[in-house]
Amino acid sequence: MRTWRLFSVFAVLVLVLAACGQQGGASASAGEESEAPPSSSEGAEPSEGAAFEPSAYPEDGPAECGADNNPSNISEIRAEDERTVVFTLCSPDVAFLSKIAFSSFAIDDSAYLEAHGADGSIVDQPNGTGPYRFDTWNRGSDITMTAFEDYWGDAPLSPTVIFRWSAEAAQRLVELQSGTVDGIDNPAPDDFAAIEGDSNLEIFPREGLNVFYIGFNNTYEPFNDEKVRQAIAMGIDRQRIVDNFYPPGSEVATHFTPCAISFGCEGEDWYEFDPEGAKALLAEAGFPDGFDTQIHLRDVVRGYLPLPTAVAADIQAQLQENLGINAEIDVQESTTFIDNADAGNLPGIHLLGWGADYPDPTNFLDYHFGGGASAQFGDKFDDITEALATGASTVDETERAAAYETANNAIKQHVPMVPIAHGGSATVFQAGLEGAHSSPLSNEQMSVIAPGDDDQLVWMQNGEPGGLYCADESDGEALRVCEQIKESLYAYETAGTAAIPALAEECTPNDDLTVWTCTLREGVTFHDGSTLDANDVVLSYAVQWDADHPLHIGRDGSFTYFAALFGGFLNPPPAE
Amino acid sequence: MATTTFDQADARRAPTSLWRDTLGHVLRQRSAIIGLVLLAIILLGALLADVLTPYGPTENLYSVPGAQRLAGPCIHLLGCPTDQPQFVMGLDQNARDVFARVLHGARSSLQVGIVTVGIAIVLGTLIGSVAGYAGGWVDNLLMRIMDVLLAFPALVLAIFLVTAFQTLDVPFFGDRLFNAMLAIGIVAIPVYARVMRASVLSVRERDFVTASRALGESGRGILMRRILPNALTPLVVQGTLGIATAILEVAALSFLGIGAQEPTAEWGSMIGAVRNQVFSAPHLILFPGGALALSVLAFNLLGDGLRDALDPRLNR
Amino acid sequence: MLQFILRRLLLSIPVLFGIIFLVFALARLLPGDPCRAALGERATDAICNAFNARFGLNEPIPVQFVTYLGQLARGDLGDSIRQGRPVSEILLERLPVTLELTLFALLFAVIVGVTLGRLSARRRNSPLDVGTMLVANLGVSIPVFVLGLLLAYLFAVVLRGTPIALPPSGQLSPGVAHQSLQQAWGLGPVDGFLGALLTFVSNMVIFSSLITGQWTPFLDGLKHIVLPMVALGTIPMAIIARMTRSSMLDVLGLDYIRTARAKGAPERLVMGRHAFRNALLPVVTVVGLSLGALLSGAVLTESIFLLPGLGRTLFEAITGRDYIVVQALTLVTAVSYVLINLVVDVSYAYLDPRIRLR
Repeated sequence: MRTWRLFSVFAVLVLVLAACGQQGGASASAGEESEAPPSSSEGAEPSEGAAFEPSAYPEDGPAECGADNNPSNISEIRAEDERTVVFTLCSPDVAFLSKIAFSSFAIDDSAYLEAHGADGSIVDQPNGTGPYRFDTWNRGSDITMTAFEDYWGDAPLSPTVIFRWSAEAAQRLVELQSGTVDGIDNPAPDDFAAIEGDSNLEIFPREGLNVFYIGFNNTYEPFNDEKVRQAIAMGIDRQRIVDNFYPPGSEVATHFTPCAISFGCEGEDWYEFDPEGAKALLAEAGFPDGFDTQIHLRDVVRGYLPLPTAVAADIQAQLQENLGINAEIDVQESTTFIDNADAGNLPGIHLLGWGADYPDPTNFLDYHFGGGASAQFGDKFDDITEALATGASTVDETERAAAYETANNAIKQHVPMVPIAHGGSATVFQAGLEGAHSSPLSNEQMSVIAPGDDDQLVWMQNGEPGGLYCADESDGEALRVCEQIKESLYAYETAGTAAIPALAEECTPNDDLTVWTCTLREGVTFHDGSTLDANDVVLSYAVQWDADHPLHIGRDGSFTYFAALFGGFLNPPPAE
Repeated sequence: MATTTFDQADARRAPTSLWRDTLGHVLRQRSAIIGLVLLAIILLGALLADVLTPYGPTENLYSVPGAQRLAGPCIHLLGCPTDQPQFVMGLDQNARDVFARVLHGARSSLQVGIVTVGIAIVLGTLIGSVAGYAGGWVDNLLMRIMDVLLAFPALVLAIFLVTAFQTLDVPFFGDRLFNAMLAIGIVAIPVYARVMRASVLSVRERDFVTASRALGESGRGILMRRILPNALTPLVVQGTLGIATAILEVAALSFLGIGAQEPTAEWGSMIGAVRNQVFSAPHLILFPGGALALSVLAFNLLGDGLRDALDPRLNR
Repeated sequence: MLQFILRRLLLSIPVLFGIIFLVFALARLLPGDPCRAALGERATDAICNAFNARFGLNEPIPVQFVTYLGQLARGDLGDSIRQGRPVSEILLERLPVTLELTLFALLFAVIVGVTLGRLSARRRNSPLDVGTMLVANLGVSIPVFVLGLLLAYLFAVVLRGTPIALPPSGQLSPGVAHQSLQQAWGLGPVDGFLGALLTFVSNMVIFSSLITGQWTPFLDGLKHIVLPMVALGTIPMAIIARMTRSSMLDVLGLDYIRTARAKGAPERLVMGRHAFRNALLPVVTVVGLSLGALLSGAVLTESIFLLPGLGRTLFEAITGRDYIVVQALTLVTAVSYVLINLVVDVSYAYLDPRIRLR
C-alpha cells in the first residue's frame, strides 16, 4: 500500500513534468541560475578601428515640446562625438543632475541592449560598468556578484558580494547575530537599543529623507471644513508618536519636506500640540463632541512608517482622548489602498508617507500638492499650486526660497494633511567592518565595504528584486542591487545625497538650464569588454523615453521612473 | 452502552441514562478532565475579564504613573518593587495591559471556535444528510462539490475566501473577524458533510429505519428522529476537535493580518502585530501564544476524551 | 476492477473542472490591482492600461476564462505577472524545494509521531500517556512563526560556535556552490521532458548532491533543513502520535490480541508484532492526508526559513496579486490532491475487494 502511495506521488510528478516539458526550449533552462554575461574575450564590440557615427534621438529631428506625442520634458538627446552627449529639455530643470544620477537611468552598452533587451534576457543578465559583475541569481534565495577587475574607479574591497532578503526585521537580526550575514537593512525600531549594546554589531543610523503624514480628502464631510483639519493638526501629540514608535534619529516633522533637502524647511514650523485649542476649534466648527470617522491604512512597513498598526492604534486613541473623535481602523490591501487614496475614495483619515526619489523639494511638494497631483487630498489650493509652479521653474536661489516659504505657509494654513514624522532607519553591520555605512537614499555602496572573514560580503535586505534591468524597476530593493552592477552619468556620493560625476566627467547646462552637455569619462569598459561611448547613452535613454521604441520592453514595460521624473514618454500609450 | 442506548432512550425506560452514562464515561477519561478544567479556566477568564483587571483591552496607559510601553510583567507578589504599577503580563507596544487583552482575547477565541464550527456543522450535516438520504445524482453533485473544497489546502482556501469576501463588499461581510470565521467555517464543511453522510449511509438500511419507513414516517422525520441521533457521537467528537482547529486557523489568518483588526484583542493578531518584537519584548508573544496553546489543548483533550468515552470498544 | 477505475476517473473530471472554475473565480475576486502591485505605486493610468492589455486583464471576465481554459488545454499555465516568465518555469524551480522539505518533515513526523503514539498507547492514562498527549497537543498549538523564530534564535544565535549550531535560514550557506545534474554529469543542454526532469531533480538540492557525490553542499543542505523540518513536521507529528495511540487502543481491544495474550505471548511481541502492524493501517491513511496539511504549513515555514519553495511563492503571489501564479499553483496542488486520492482509492479497492461493490 505504501508503494502505491509513492507511486501516486510519482505519477503526479510525471504529469507536472510532462506539462512543463511541453513548453520546450523555454523551460529547458528553467530553474537554473541565470548566467553571467560573456566575459571580456567574447562579445566585445570593435570599438577601435570602426569609425564612430554619432546618433541622435529622435533620428528625424527634435521632438516638439508639449505636442500630443511628447508630454515629456525632453526634446532631443544627441551624441556630438564619441564622448559628448547633449540633452535638450523643454523647460528648465534645476534638478537635472539629481535626476540623471538616479539608478533607473544607468547606461547599458548599445550592442548588449539590442541583443538582450528584445528577448527580455537583460532582466536577469545585467551587463554594466559598475564595480561588481553579475554572477548568479538563485531565484527566491540569493544574488551573487564578483569584483570587476577592469573597473575604472577604486577597486572594490570584497571579491564577492552576496545579496539575500527577508521581509521580517526580527529574522534579519537573527541572521546577523548568527554570523551568516555581514550587514542588514532596517532593524526593528525596538531593537535599536539592544543592537547598540551588542559589541559584535555596529549600527549606522540613516537620516529620514521621507515623511509620514495623516491625510484627509477635503471633499468629504467633515474634512471639508478647514477648522476641523486645523483642529486635528493641533490635537495630535506628534512627539508621543515619534518617541514611541520611531527609532532614534527620527524627527517630528516641522514641514512636509525634510530639512536635509535644500529649500525643504522654508516657512513657519508646524502647529504646536495644543489639545485645548484644538478642542475649541472643533467646537467652533460645530463638533464639540467630536464625530465618527475611519482611519484607513495599509499594513506595510516603510522607512516612514516602521510600525503601521501600532501607530494607527495610537492615533485612534489620541483622536478619542484629545478631540472626542471616534475612529474605526480600516486596514486595506496595499495596492487597493494606494488606488483608493489616489482616486480620492477614502472618506476618513488616511495614513501614508513618501520617500525621496531624488533630493529636491519638487519630489515632495509637487507630487502631492502641485497642479498635477492626484485627487488624494481633494480640491487643490491655488495659493499652494502657484507657489510650487514658481519654485519648480526658477533657478534663482532667493526666489526659490521665497516660493517654498509661501507654499509651506499655505500648506500649514489649509492643512491638506498633517505631517507627523521623518522616520529614521539604519543599517547594521558586524562590528569593525571597514567602510560599513548607511546612505540617506538607501543606496549603500558595497564596493567600499570590506568582506567578512570568509572573503565575501553577505548583505540582507527587505525583499527580492523583481528584475535587474532597473530602467524598468521602481522598488528600492531592486535598485540597490543594480547600483552595484551598473552606473549612471552621475551618482549620489557614498552615504550622501549630492550628485557627483560618474560615467560623465561633467554635465554643464546652458544659461537657462534647458541644454545640458555631458562629457563622458574615458576608458570605461563594460563587464562584457565593450567600451562606453556616447551612442550607448543615447540608446539607454531612448528605449525608456520612447514608448514606441522596439526595445521599450523591459520586464513589464512600465518604465515608471522615467515617466515620473521626466514628465512622461514620447509617443505615450493611449490613456483610455 | 452507546450502541444500545438508542432504543433504550426511545422506549423511555430510562431517558436520562444515556447522558448520565456518557458523563460517567467522560469523567473517567483523564484527558477529558484536564480538558474540561482548562476550558473552565479559560471560560472563567473570559467571563470575569472586566473584574480581574482594572484596565480595558484597548486603553492606552501612558497616563498611569510609571507605566512604560513594552514594560515586562510586574507582579508585586513575586518581588516586583511595589513602587511600580502592577501589570501581571506587562504592557504592549501601545502601552495596553496585556493581561486585559489576553482575557478579552479568550472571548474572541471562544466565540470564533463556536461560531465557526457552528457554521460548518449546520451546513455540513445538512449537506451530508441530504446527500446520504437522497442518494443518486444529488449525492453525487453535493459530494463532488465537497471534493472540490477538500482539494484545496485549508489555509490557502481560507486566505482566498477572506480576501474575496472583502472585495464583494456586501454589508453582511463587514466585520473582518466574521469574514475570517465564515471562511474557516466554509473550509471545514466537507469534514462534517462526510461524517454525516457516512452515518446516514450506515443506518439507512438498518432494520429500525426500514421499520419506521414501513410505519409511514416521513423522510424528514426519519432523518431527524432516527438517523441524526445516531450520527451525533462522531459529530460531537469531530466538532470538539474542530473548535481547536478553528481557533488556530482564525488566529493564523489574524496573524497574517486578514482576520481581526486592531485594536480588537485577538490572540493571533496580537502575536502578528509584534512578531518583530519577539526578541525585544518576548512577553508580548509568550502570553497570547500560551493562551492560544492552552485553549487549543483544552479542546483537543476534551475531544480525545469524548471519543474514548463514547467509543464502546474502549469501555473496558 | 477496470470498471471501478474508469468510474473513479469519470467522477474526478467534474471535480477537476470545479477546481479550475473556483480557482479562476477566486483569483479574480482578490482585491487590489495587479498592475499597481506589479509596477509599484507610481505607475500612471496610461502605464496600467498598457500593462493590462499586455496580460489580457482588460478583457471581460468570461472571455478571460475561455482563454484560460484554452491555455490549460495546451498545457500552458501562463506567464507570471510579476516575474514576467512562464509559470511552468517557476514550478520546476519551486516544487522540488517544497517536495524535499515535505518529505523530510513527513519522515520526522512519522518516526517521532509513531514512537510517541506507541509509547502512550502501551500505558494508557499513565503520566507518560498524558505527557505525550500534552506534548503532541502543544505541538499542534504553537504558531509556526513563533516556533520557527525561536528555533532559529536558539540554534543559530544562542548555540553559535558550538557543534550543534545550525544555520537560521536558507537552503545552502552563502558561497556554497551546488552543481546541477547536467553540470555534474557533464551533459550539454538537454531539452524537453528529460531536461525538465533533470532540472527538477537538480533543484532538490540535498537529494541531487547525494546522488552526484557533492558532499559539501549535501552536508550543508542537511544542516539547513533540520530546523524547517522540525517546524513543519511538528503538527503532523502530533496528529500521527494521536492517531497511532487511538488506533493501537482500537486494535488492543480486539479478540485476536486477547487470544495472543491468552496464549501467553510476551507483551513485547503482542504490542510489537500483532497490535502495531495492524494499527499502522489507519496511520498510513493519516500520513497520506497530512500531505495536504503539510502544503498549508509550508506557506508559513518556507517564509520563515527563507526557502524558495511553492508555499512561499504562493503566499507572495497572493499578496502581490499575481493572478496567474496564484491560479496555476493552487491548481497544481489541488489537482495533485485529487490524483493522489484517486490512486489511493484505487489501491484500496485493489487491496480490499469489498469497496469495489459499493
